[in-house]
Amino acid sequence: MSLIIKGKVWKFGDNVDTDELFAGRYIMLGNEADKEAYKQAVIRGAFESLSTIGAADENMPTGFIDAISRVLSGYENHNPDSLEALSGDVIVAGKNFGIGSSRQQAAEALRFLGISACLAETMHRIFYRNFWNVGGIAIDQKGISSLLAMGDMAEIDLNQYTVRNITEERQIKLDIRLPEEFILMYEKGGLIPYHKDR
Amino acid sequence: MGMTLAEKILAWKSGREKVRPGEIITVDVDVAMSHDALGAHTIAKFKDLTGQDGKVWSREKIVLILDHYVPSNSIETAKKIQNIESFVEKQGLINYYGIGRGGICHKVLIEKGHVVPGDFVVGTDSHTTTHGVMGAFATGVGVDDMACVWKTGKTWERGPETLFVEISGKLKQGIYSKDLMLKIIGTLGVDGAIQRCVQFSGEAVYSLSIDSRSVLTNMAIETGATNGIIDPDTKVSDYLQGRTKKKVDLVQGDTDARYERFVRINASHINEPLVACPWSPANVKRVSELEGTRINQAFVGSCTNGKLEDLQVVASIVKGHEVAPNCRMIIIPASQEVYREAAQKGLLDIFVESHAFVSGPTCGPCMETHMGILGPGDAMISSANRNFRGRAGDPTANIFLASPATVAASAIAGEITDPRKYL
Repeated sequence: MSLIIKGKVWKFGDNVDTDELFAGRYIMLGNEADKEAYKQAVIRGAFESLSTIGAADENMPTGFIDAISRVLSGYENHNPDSLEALSGDVIVAGKNFGIGSSRQQAAEALRFLGISACLAETMHRIFYRNFWNVGGIAIDQKGISSLLAMGDMAEIDLNQYTVRNITEERQIKLDIRLPEEFILMYEKGGLIPYHKDR
Repeated sequence: MGMTLAEKILAWKSGREKVRPGEIITVDVDVAMSHDALGAHTIAKFKDLTGQDGKVWSREKIVLILDHYVPSNSIETAKKIQNIESFVEKQGLINYYGIGRGGICHKVLIEKGHVVPGDFVVGTDSHTTTHGVMGAFATGVGVDDMACVWKTGKTWERGPETLFVEISGKLKQGIYSKDLMLKIIGTLGVDGAIQRCVQFSGEAVYSLSIDSRSVLTNMAIETGATNGIIDPDTKVSDYLQGRTKKKVDLVQGDTDARYERFVRINASHINEPLVACPWSPANVKRVSELEGTRINQAFVGSCTNGKLEDLQVVASIVKGHEVAPNCRMIIIPASQEVYREAAQKGLLDIFVESHAFVSGPTCGPCMETHMGILGPGDAMISSANRNFRGRAGDPTANIFLASPATVAASAIAGEITDPRKYL
């Protein structure tokens, strides 16, 4: 797996919380033992949450809920093209992204939808670790949201520890250093696949 | 340069001399708690990880507690509880608290002596930060994390900077640790301590009971913190006497420990009860600014404020009064122990007499799980910890957070009210 990823930017504001990403009422839905059914239930829960609670939040980018709706209909109508509506895309947020609950579905839903990375000025710790654990890249660093605007192409390079705005040819150096085991976990696709092979 | 208690715990549990802030390390876990909301999900992940016959790393250190959906509200929930029960039996887990045997996880872990100073505690619940009240490093994790802890007894952590909150002075009559914590959250903001450890100290903190102190560590998460911690004193060891079989050592941070930032608050300067308004625990106002705001649901309970001392204050306020006709009041003791003590002291009788609805221990209407769910346009004042949009029901319903006393006074008046009128 490459340590360099590229994706289109969806720009979020501050304090996007886990209730709007995945409301409490959907936590018990889905049979986790059936992975495909669970995946669809989680995407459906995220769609319902974002289109009711999240839609009232001015921090949600225009078009994001429509894109989720396309992915969902991709599953429900077996349309492989619309499954890719968010594939590889990158979320760039302001302060305190993922604030709230330990419910992993908030992070998992974004991964199931195809989001490859979440970048934010600051990120809530449990969301941060959940997103890495389910195979994504989570980076919290000051200045990252002014680097990238809605629709820009972002490049994240975990070899060089840089985030680049390809559209505007600007980049920043990241402060974080990831231990080797952590990189291995990412390459395996997350915490469970990593521990499975050990 | 010395270390804070949180830094010492991370160093001990990762076998290092020191853990630098920002450094990612592997840590040994002392207590791994999960509950009904994410327990079955964790079990599915654990089976995925280890196969159907995989064994957990410890039968003693895992604690499973039913609290969010108690008793079962649906066939779906009932199946998940069956799943948890059969896992507990198959694995021979020793610390399982089913319905009627425990209560809200964060109250039960403390009451039953599972957490002692110096422990590293993880739970599949963001309010696991509560256990820092015992001098532990305690923090929330997701289900993949927990499945791996169950297999290996280890997890990963990112070393936090520590923010030192020193609280001097003394709380005035009618002002409680909940008001103090709302003041702190209002001061720091919801990301004021993001990915940081918040250490609470000062005479005002140490004069509080363990239950009152735990409001601070419980809501430390609402400042974005990784964990909250209080260096333990003899109140902690006294509390644990007869409750734990584990060795209790009052470990402390060094006097020359380094802190990223100091925040000083004088408890004597909080002149009025405080209320957090929609949609953020940091949107804090003085009760006088909100007086007259209509509410139609008042909730006393949750891992934050469903303890005996909370119920005692509520009883002293509602005694001889009735809940306003256009309002419903829901009172939920946080644990079986609290429930029984409240019954013995005659508190439940006072509540029922006042037309409050009283239930056995559960998380209740703190979040939109199974009871007391808000409809469009409803307004709830709650002693719980979070008031995000849609947290407890319809996204148009307002949620206000306050001390149990303010909740009780507001229930009687049917509008947000200063509890000192009734004290």
